[in-house]
Amino acid sequence: MLRKSVTRRRLMKTGAGLAAMAAFGAPAILHAQARTLKITTWGGKWGEIMKGEVLPAFEKEHGCTVQADQAFPFVPKLQASPRNDPIYDVLHTNSNEQWKCVVEGLVVDKLDARAIPNLKDVYPYAVSDKIVGVSIFTSAIGLGYRTDKGLAKPTSWKDLADPKLAGQRGGYLIPVNSLGQAHLMMLGKIYGKGFDDLDAAYKALEALKPIKLYDFTGQMEKALLSAEVSVGVIHDSGIYRYDGTNQPVDFAIPSEGVIALEQVLNITPGTRVKELANAYIDYMLRPDVQKKLAEGVWYSPSNTKVKLDAKYDARLFNTPEKVAKLIQMDWKWYNERKDDIDLRVARILRG
Amino acid sequence: MAEAVATTPLPRPRHVGMSPIAWLAAPALLLFVIFFVLPFGTMALFSFLSGNPVANPNVTFTLRHYERFLSDSLYFESLVATLRIGFVTTLVSLLIGYPLAHWMARMHSRVGHAMLLMAVIAPMLTGIVVRTFAWMTLLQDSGVINTTLVSLGWTDGPVRLMYNEFGTVVALVHIYVPYMVLTLTGVIGRIDERLEQAARNLGANRFRAFIEVTLPLSLPGILAGSLLVFALSISAYVTPFLMGGTDVLTLPMLIYQQVGSSFNLGFAGALGVILLAVSLLVVFAYNHVLGRFAGGEKMA
Repeated sequence: MLRKSVTRRRLMKTGAGLAAMAAFGAPAILHAQARTLKITTWGGKWGEIMKGEVLPAFEKEHGCTVQADQAFPFVPKLQASPRNDPIYDVLHTNSNEQWKCVVEGLVVDKLDARAIPNLKDVYPYAVSDKIVGVSIFTSAIGLGYRTDKGLAKPTSWKDLADPKLAGQRGGYLIPVNSLGQAHLMMLGKIYGKGFDDLDAAYKALEALKPIKLYDFTGQMEKALLSAEVSVGVIHDSGIYRYDGTNQPVDFAIPSEGVIALEQVLNITPGTRVKELANAYIDYMLRPDVQKKLAEGVWYSPSNTKVKLDAKYDARLFNTPEKVAKLIQMDWKWYNERKDDIDLRVARILRG
Repeated sequence: MAEAVATTPLPRPRHVGMSPIAWLAAPALLLFVIFFVLPFGTMALFSFLSGNPVANPNVTFTLRHYERFLSDSLYFESLVATLRIGFVTTLVSLLIGYPLAHWMARMHSRVGHAMLLMAVIAPMLTGIVVRTFAWMTLLQDSGVINTTLVSLGWTDGPVRLMYNEFGTVVALVHIYVPYMVLTLTGVIGRIDERLEQAARNLGANRFRAFIEVTLPLSLPGILAGSLLVFALSISAYVTPFLMGGTDVLTLPMLIYQQVGSSFNLGFAGALGVILLAVSLLVVFAYNHVLGRFAGGEKMA
């Protein structure tokens, strides 16, 4: 075994070598860092498609690396990171969280349409005044129901209050789930003067007891599949994804309309790769990417130019007539009252 | 001179540095600082700030998060519910765990002991979420128990076994009993069996020998196991969330709501500080009471 003693000369040589490497290598390292895009994205089937196909194709196209965080919740992590070096460059959340973020200056209030050419092809709802950023997909919140319980297909949101469904109806833990929050506003509209009629909504919520409440849509899916719940508030994607599996569940569109559950992308103001962030949003709005994800998870695409296969085309909200049925909630209004609403609904639903 | 030497106490050895053994505790200490002291310090600091100092340099000190806690009785009720669930879970775990631990500690068969140990540890090899979901499949309206009861005609409809404190406690006890058993087994195993035999030789029956000898000597184990289970129960989030439905609202659930949904780190921090402070008070009181039973000494 060859042994070399550490001499002062050898130490200096090594030090000089390391310094040279650092001097020449640093720009390359910095460049590599500059070409990393940090995003948030969902898990499950969506995450599989994103990590398996969509993101690798984007990395190849733009010569960059994408770091995708799937560990929800994202907003507290963004809150804790410095504004000039945010933990994410592009934030993907539902609309309610984007509104919270824009109020705190965590995302930009408007995207640059010149930097995202595909923005010009989206349905108006995807960039309406109810959206911060752009809604790249939406699913429709309506009523999921079991087809093997002898129940008539629900036609109205009021059908959820049918006394026969006592203990067999399902909703969400309103403080933590935006579907539950949207449903509460819908109750205000159905039973009161409008989406902001909270007194009517609370009264209607009280009338829905006993109701089983879940914290996320995946649990509602399981509850419907296991017959723990016969009728529940859920988005169409949560039912349609079992298409072809012979599960006795179906989705009903209430006559009063369905609520849009938007998948929103937005950019953080402090991002150091703004160009790449814009390119990513543009990429996610591209018809081929939209088609792949829409058919993979049953989400309605925002781009008007997407041509879906027949079975998806028949059910998803992808024509001007269909998207006109989507109801968008005023999340800025809701977020301003969230603490009071949380307290009130906790009292109503306990015991 | 010789007498003087004999009466002069020997000089105490000079401590020139920390014992090498003490350095072995350094990683544990470092972990404690990184994963408890720093996060808790940050949380406590946030609870006294008007906003997020990372985003806003103009934040000020405030008590508004604590005032908010006092402003609505729902928060106090959730604190009481948290402690109640903690107490009941600890008590039931102790009642189930003590006989099992005693049996394990007194078992002479190595194979039997190993089998029992495996039976106690086996559930811990599965995640808490999985175990909770298992309880859900048993206790829910369309679960195994209710389906059986209805099919046998013993009940007209499903009995409400979950979405309440009962279901929550059942699942928590199942999850935390191993901690109680393992803690108690070690302590009971170190109690000299001959003491119990001596008590019986002096005329005490089995029960009295247990009450007068074994039980008092196992109090340190009861204390340690109870504190462990209590601490884990009051800080549990997943199980109360899944099993409690709308009937159960604990402080960890409120803390998660504030961090993950309302994004109010200040109020979440205040709830965390309150939970820790109240828990410490309860632990000190419990320690004091149990110490009195053990002979007037504090036990931990």
